[in-house]
Amino acid sequence: MKVSLDKSKVIVRWILFALAIVYIITGFGITQYQVVEKITLGLLTKALAQKIHFYLLIPFLILLIMHIYLSVMIRKNNAI
Amino acid sequence: MRKNENIIFVIILLLIVALIVIAVFFYRPDSAPQSIKNLSSVEVREYKGEDLSSIAAFRENSIKGPQYVNISNYKLEIYGLVNNPINYSYEEVLRKQNYEKVITLHCVEGWDVTILWKGVLVRDLLDDAKPNINANTVILYAVDGYSTQYPLQYFYDNNIIIAYEMNNVTIPPERGYPFMLVAEDKWGYKWIKWINKIELSSDTNYKGYWESRGYSKEGNLNESFFG
Repeated sequence: MKVSLDKSKVIVRWILFALAIVYIITGFGITQYQVVEKITLGLLTKALAQKIHFYLLIPFLILLIMHIYLSVMIRKNNAI
Repeated sequence: MRKNENIIFVIILLLIVALIVIAVFFYRPDSAPQSIKNLSSVEVREYKGEDLSSIAAFRENSIKGPQYVNISNYKLEIYGLVNNPINYSYEEVLRKQNYEKVITLHCVEGWDVTILWKGVLVRDLLDDAKPNINANTVILYAVDGYSTQYPLQYFYDNNIIIAYEMNNVTIPPERGYPFMLVAEDKWGYKWIKWINKIELSSDTNYKGYWESRGYSKEGNLNESFFG
């Protein structure tokens, strides 16, 4: 049980980290679109950045809650 | 003991969710551009009991930055499928019947501003140019190369103005001087600034700057702005 919790936490943590990076980049892609478009060689346009940013919100929140939940559960299991 | 821990955990979780929701709903980017200078006239911040936003509350997100139009050689050109092409000077436009209305601009970036706009009806300008019977699309161009398009009927079914004053002061260069389209019921990217050309066309497939880059062609506020 403890092992699977630890493993889940690691997976969630890394997905959350990747998502946070994408969330930040797409956020800049909306407000600083001239710069981001240039850096990404025109791949990340403002419209695309906005779409990704918009659809990432819910998965990001779910992962954040999972991350907190798993951390608390592991702490509780360790305390037993 | 274990029950108490669970309650604390739930409370913390709810607090975090509440904070995120509050942050998402109340986030307003600090957008006051540094380049705005003092205005010669006084900006109104309330109109008929309605609170107005500051004209500095816009976020600068134009494609090539603010345009500084030399009004002495400025012309508003109406051409294309018209029987009487016209080149208006700035003063000629201002001499036409003017209208005032409070309209909120909603930007796709998430911010909005409620402004008292003063300007002339686009319909009045188009009528002077006498649209050809084949014209069904209006393409507006700005001095920075930006463009957007509308069905011709949009201007005849609605009282759409091109504004030259906002909150009782002349539109500053950063906001679109000399003219900005007040495209009510449309997303902010349809509110073209620094207008210098209006083309009447029969090309219903034309897409403006943002419309050709993934945003909705219609740009209706009650629909998604993704194209």
